[in-house]
Amino acid sequence: MSRAAQRSGAAPSKRAQEDGDMCPVCKSARYLNPDMRFLVNPECYHKMCESCVDRRFSQGPAACPIAGCKRTLRKARFRTQTFEDIKVEREVDIRREVASVFNREEDDFETLQNYNDYLEQVENVTWNLINDIDVEDTRRKMDAYKEENRRQITRNQSNAAQEAISRKAREEEDHELTRLRRADARREDELERQEKSDARKGIINKLATTKGDAASIAREGRRAELKKSSAQRVALDKKRDGDVFSSGTENGDASSAFLFKGLKKRVAPPPEKPYDPYGGWSAEKEYFSQQDFYDWDYLSNARTDPRYSAGGYDINDYCARALCDAFSGFGVFIQDEVSGRDLGSTPSMATTAAAAVGGERVDAKMDDVF
Amino acid sequence: MALSPIDSPKPVPAAAKALPAKAKALTILNASTSSPSNASTPSSEGPQDLSEQLNEQVRRNYVTGSRLGEGTYAIVYSGHLRHDPTSLVAIKKLKVNKDYLDGLAPDAFREVRALQELSHPNIIKLYAVFSTRDQNLNIVLEHLPRGDIEGLMQNKSVSYGPADVKAWANMLAKAVWFCHENSILHRDIKGNNLLIAADGEVKLADFGLARTFSDPYRPMTYNVITRFYRPPELLYGARYYGGAVDVWSMGCVIAELVLRHFFLVSNTDIEQIDAITDVFGSCTEDVWPGVSRLDHYIPPAKDNIKRPKPMIYWKQHFGMLGDDGIEYLKSMFVLDPRKRATARQVLDHPYWTNNPKPTPKELLPQAAGGVEKMAEDLKRRGGEIEEGDGRADKVARKLNFADLKR
Repeated sequence: MSRAAQRSGAAPSKRAQEDGDMCPVCKSARYLNPDMRFLVNPECYHKMCESCVDRRFSQGPAACPIAGCKRTLRKARFRTQTFEDIKVEREVDIRREVASVFNREEDDFETLQNYNDYLEQVENVTWNLINDIDVEDTRRKMDAYKEENRRQITRNQSNAAQEAISRKAREEEDHELTRLRRADARREDELERQEKSDARKGIINKLATTKGDAASIAREGRRAELKKSSAQRVALDKKRDGDVFSSGTENGDASSAFLFKGLKKRVAPPPEKPYDPYGGWSAEKEYFSQQDFYDWDYLSNARTDPRYSAGGYDINDYCARALCDAFSGFGVFIQDEVSGRDLGSTPSMATTAAAAVGGERVDAKMDDVF
Repeated sequence: MALSPIDSPKPVPAAAKALPAKAKALTILNASTSSPSNASTPSSEGPQDLSEQLNEQVRRNYVTGSRLGEGTYAIVYSGHLRHDPTSLVAIKKLKVNKDYLDGLAPDAFREVRALQELSHPNIIKLYAVFSTRDQNLNIVLEHLPRGDIEGLMQNKSVSYGPADVKAWANMLAKAVWFCHENSILHRDIKGNNLLIAADGEVKLADFGLARTFSDPYRPMTYNVITRFYRPPELLYGARYYGGAVDVWSMGCVIAELVLRHFFLVSNTDIEQIDAITDVFGSCTEDVWPGVSRLDHYIPPAKDNIKRPKPMIYWKQHFGMLGDDGIEYLKSMFVLDPRKRATARQVLDHPYWTNNPKPTPKELLPQAAGGVEKMAEDLKRRGGEIEEGDGRADKVARKLNFADLKR
């Protein structure tokens, strides 16, 4: 039974009774058919009974049978009315539709003022649609916006869905935490009671077996008991603090359609670079280039004799090292280093001379050193 | 922080011995400033000479903390900078070596010399060297509290996948490449010389056997590198070798990571050759021209020439690496050291850039073990294996009776 019908039954007024209980299309009344259900289509919001919908729209889309309406309706979109007032029903539908398109959040805006301006514009659109002011123009603008910001809109939607999920998870977690806390408290109580009785037994035992001041023994026992329980409480609190963690949510993003001011620029994460197996290090030689072969008698034996080469000894390693030893000093400018080290003090003659020599040679072309 | 009058909790001899040449040599290593030669012999109570002062300065920078472990060769302490208690270091205090009373033990010297040259994120950092009053050499090293690669490999409670292996292998390869690029051979690459820093970075440590290489006609010893990781040319007694020896060891470590047990296992050097040839085929003049000229080469019997294992063996055992991974692993295991990939060629292999991407170091799996393991690894002498022949020993130590009860 539809809620509208129920309500009209609860608060009977002549008009509601007529509307609620008689189908405007087939004129059948609830009196004859108690199971009657009324449906509306959000296209025009004209009410009719379920059997009329079946009869008229089962063959496919057809015109609305209410006089003067003529809108084409489809069976799939008929649904039961949520609100008694058809105007409210319609407004809610429109608001839902607009909200699904304009689904930005406060986080997307630089300032609260910008966000409020945005809300005002959205409300204007909604108002126009509800009150049939400039409907065509507004619809066109809204569709254009929807088309432009399709990705944005779907992202916000999924964000909202995720938010809902995480909120639910958080609630469940809170629930679990309180349950644990309660169980802890119960266990603690149990333990305390046990300990108290143990301690009391201990005191009695002590009183029975030792000779001493009864009052002082009792006092001591009680003090130990107090100390123990407070230590326990501290430990439990600590444990609980360690368990708690928080989760953050991601901000939405923004682009620039429908002229909303103050939207935050969304910074895309930089694309992942291909993995560098050298980890950013390089051993390129800046000051010399090595050749494959150096004609030097001293090396020829090591190059050709299998006694040396069969073990993996490579004469090119030696050449590389010798060249490196000879030329890697070129990157070091003694003058700069000296002036950087002790500003003010004059460098000795030797360092100045060395710096001069070093400076001259830097751009000298040195292909073959031998 | 309260300053204690004594810098370290170690016993100080009543009458401090005169600091001879050792401290002086150290300060020259340490100090960047010029050191005017002071011919006067240092006296114990008079004003200190410059080298002693410099040594004292360095020593005062560090506070030695609790003892983490002790071996026959060194004691490892944890420590920190005096002005900054959060900056942890490991201080490796070498025991006075009876064989080298008048100078530095060669392994200590090698370690300090190599580490001074090398500064790379995947190589253990040497902060300082100083000597204490009782004539001990102290090496201040990076604090690496997360155990080592061998521990990870053997710890069955840690699970890891291809991306993690790639990340570890890459860090190892970078370290080896950097050493070779600076003309230093490590000569003792193995799982328990690869320590893991607090941020997950793998660091190559223990440079006790390292040396510079590539001088022509200068023989080097072939008795280096722990046996499981020793390449065939060293087993055949080659005295002239190059970076290829480290590449072989690197291949062994990566293979271990995949297999989760030692790769080429044997009890003697001869058996090690067998273990190698079982997998990679016999060493003949065909596959390795010139191999017969090596000192200890034993030609295989004519009727017993082994063939290398087929591809199916690699797919079975090293499938985790994928096809490109198997190819690059095999390139590190070429018998002929001249054809073996160099460290640079290893890093240039497409394996690194192919999928899966290496795991970022923060996300790599970790094992417990931590500081004790670091001490265990640092206190060893270069190339030293734990007592016994290593293998059975470790098995015995790994038995955990608490686990057996369950």
